[in-house]
Amino acid sequence: MNARLAGLLNRNPYLLSLVLLVLMIVINRALQDNLFEIGPLNGNLRVFTPAILLAVGQTFVIIAGGVDLSVGAILSMTNAILATQIPQEATAGVVVGALALAFGAGLLAGALNGFGVTVLRLQPIVTTYATGFIFSGVALYVLPEPGGRLPRDLTTFWRNPLEVSPDLHIPMAIFVIALLVIFWIVLTNTRYRQFLFATGSQADAAYSTGVRVNRVKFSTYLLSALFATLAALALTLGSGTGNPRAGDQSTLPSIVAVVLGGTRLSGGQGNIVGSIIGAVILGLIGNIISFADLDSWVRPLVDALIIIGALAIPGLIRLARRLLL
Amino acid sequence: MKDISLQVEQTVKTYGGVVALADGNLSVRSGQVTALLGANGSGKSTLSKILTGVIAPNSGRILIDGKPASFNAPDQARRAGISAVYQELSLIPDLTVAENIWLGHEPLRAGFVHRAEMRARTRKLLALFGGLVKPNLQPDAAIDSLTPDERQIVEILKALSFDPRLIILDEATASLDSQQVNRLFELVRDWKTQGMAVVFVSHRMEEIFRIADKASVLRNGHTVGERDIAATNERELVDLMIEGAAVLGRERAPDVPADQPVRLRVQDLKTPVLRGVSLDLRDGELLGLGGLQGQGQADLLMAVFGAIRSSGRITVSGQERHFSHPRQAMQAEVALVPGDRGSEGLLLIRSILENLLLASWNRYNTPIRMPKARADGSTVGDDLKLVMASLDAPVSSLSGGNAQKVVIGKWLLRSPKLLLLNDPTKGIDVGAKAEFYNLLKQLRDAGTAILFYSSDDDELLGLCNRVLVLHDGAVSAELRGDGLTRENLVAASMGAA
Repeated sequence: MNARLAGLLNRNPYLLSLVLLVLMIVINRALQDNLFEIGPLNGNLRVFTPAILLAVGQTFVIIAGGVDLSVGAILSMTNAILATQIPQEATAGVVVGALALAFGAGLLAGALNGFGVTVLRLQPIVTTYATGFIFSGVALYVLPEPGGRLPRDLTTFWRNPLEVSPDLHIPMAIFVIALLVIFWIVLTNTRYRQFLFATGSQADAAYSTGVRVNRVKFSTYLLSALFATLAALALTLGSGTGNPRAGDQSTLPSIVAVVLGGTRLSGGQGNIVGSIIGAVILGLIGNIISFADLDSWVRPLVDALIIIGALAIPGLIRLARRLLL
Repeated sequence: MKDISLQVEQTVKTYGGVVALADGNLSVRSGQVTALLGANGSGKSTLSKILTGVIAPNSGRILIDGKPASFNAPDQARRAGISAVYQELSLIPDLTVAENIWLGHEPLRAGFVHRAEMRARTRKLLALFGGLVKPNLQPDAAIDSLTPDERQIVEILKALSFDPRLIILDEATASLDSQQVNRLFELVRDWKTQGMAVVFVSHRMEEIFRIADKASVLRNGHTVGERDIAATNERELVDLMIEGAAVLGRERAPDVPADQPVRLRVQDLKTPVLRGVSLDLRDGELLGLGGLQGQGQADLLMAVFGAIRSSGRITVSGQERHFSHPRQAMQAEVALVPGDRGSEGLLLIRSILENLLLASWNRYNTPIRMPKARADGSTVGDDLKLVMASLDAPVSSLSGGNAQKVVIGKWLLRSPKLLLLNDPTKGIDVGAKAEFYNLLKQLRDAGTAILFYSSDDDELLGLCNRVLVLHDGAVSAELRGDGLTRENLVAASMGAA
């Protein structure tokens, strides 16, 4: 193993995922000629956006040494709230009220997770697995069957920016990603960033240095729930409707995306740029499988191989070092 | 700098039923270096952690400048001007040197971390040890990449970065070389003249006499005396540390006949902690390992057992062996009773029987012969006089002493020829200890070679006929026969010849 390459990878763990991203884009392009045209590009990125937002929220929790298994359920819950509270003829006031309700419910869910982990001192996996059932239940209570239809203006604004402004040749999702990256850059220059990484790296040492470890952990569950609600907003605007089971299959992919992006699953290292790339890779894999006419069982298999590969890389590097030295 | 005076009065700290500090007192003031000393488990670290708010005392008072203060969290003590260099370092492995030093009080510009300023200030702090550290110790270096002495220096600079009025150095010199210690002492003298108060916890007598103005001595959780350094001597302080301590019934173990075969021979054993340790252990001998905690005793046991890497020669039963996995050691009839029975020795929620048999399932295998296993398990249970509801009760239902007997019992089923004990009686009650000592004597008389590390000096004095005292990773004294006295043991623990 080349030592300089190893060092570079250690400092920028998402470089590997960048390579994977390029590979996926090349394969996808080979199968889909018009991939880079504004229509398909806009469509693809719009479909990926909820997964990107979930992965970003998950990243904070994982960096601080926890995990949030309830993000999919929070997405379902807030998707159901938005779809039922914004009728087709909604006025601006109604829309604002619905948004407030959805974000309030999302943040309450995050606070419940944070309470379980920091005050009750339950394991993050147990806490968020259990609370996930509560949020799924609320979703089904609010919206028992898929349904609801949002005002056309709202969905058009999100789905098809060309209709809003013909000069705008940039998909909305690009703005979202740009905002996320700016948010991260700003955040990395705050004390909060230091507390976040210190908590995930060695919570005891951080505590004896005066870091309010519990507050930091609590805040990550709030952030994760906030981003899950944003994901629900993106999903609702994209589909124009609600589904109480919308997030059922999205929790584990959010963790896979984080790991793919080079964030350490045991905490203390990571960044959201990698997670965004990870989520896009997972989306592209889905595209490739559908375009290549592969059977649907192939998809979980490929996901599994990728997560095992991503998790095994540090171990393989160590093994190689031990055998060579 | 604002002057400080601090009084700690009658502080008590208990963990469950274990008393860590019974009556802790301390008074320090600006411009003074107070040494805090005591034998193993006397409560030094507990007292310094109370001062820094890491643990809260059950009762007692802390007065700062005459006013009562109470700390519920480390940042409150810090705001009162108290910061500490901890024995277990408080550095975050994934952050850089600069990020660690300034964690929680990063220089800000418009609300954002001012990294350039942070680096500049870090460089200024690192310059205090200029010339004594390798050039790779830079503000942006990762903590992971530093050696123990460099980490210790970063830890010291971190405590200093808070501009404290009182700084606590808890074993801060443990991993520094002599030049670095000299530099630290020059700094301490500077701080004194600037009006800082210093509490110095060290196991090195020589350093205490070099730097301290007065010494406060703890024994069994009680503050037993305070002396001006100028008006005392090493002997008097050592006497204070041990005087009147509970004495275990002394029955000197018989000398081992020289014709017994050597079961274990260790020559020039080195690990990151050990600096060349050699010893011979014969069948039927109970050889003690003494000294203050963390001087390499655990490393020695783990290295022999193959649980950590080492260099040097290890000969077991006449064959040179270098176990690379505990399994190989077990096959060579070696057993290790770990110090932390909760995490290393027992499956707490599983049954007593399962725990006893964990190391021996191979003997009852394919198909599992449960009646035989159960019979053997209950024989061992009787031998150990286990106080239990039944063999099927979970280990977590046992008292500390009985749980420790299960850890030993699981190895007795394998009848080891060489038994390695890593502080086995830590935190168990007196009655269980006595039974445990009898068990050790039986094993010894049956010809088992036993290497016994204990942090309790009384046990070493009462059970062993020979004790090796470790200090800084090397054997500082071999005590036997009439030379095996408490005075010699404590003196050797402190590194005195």
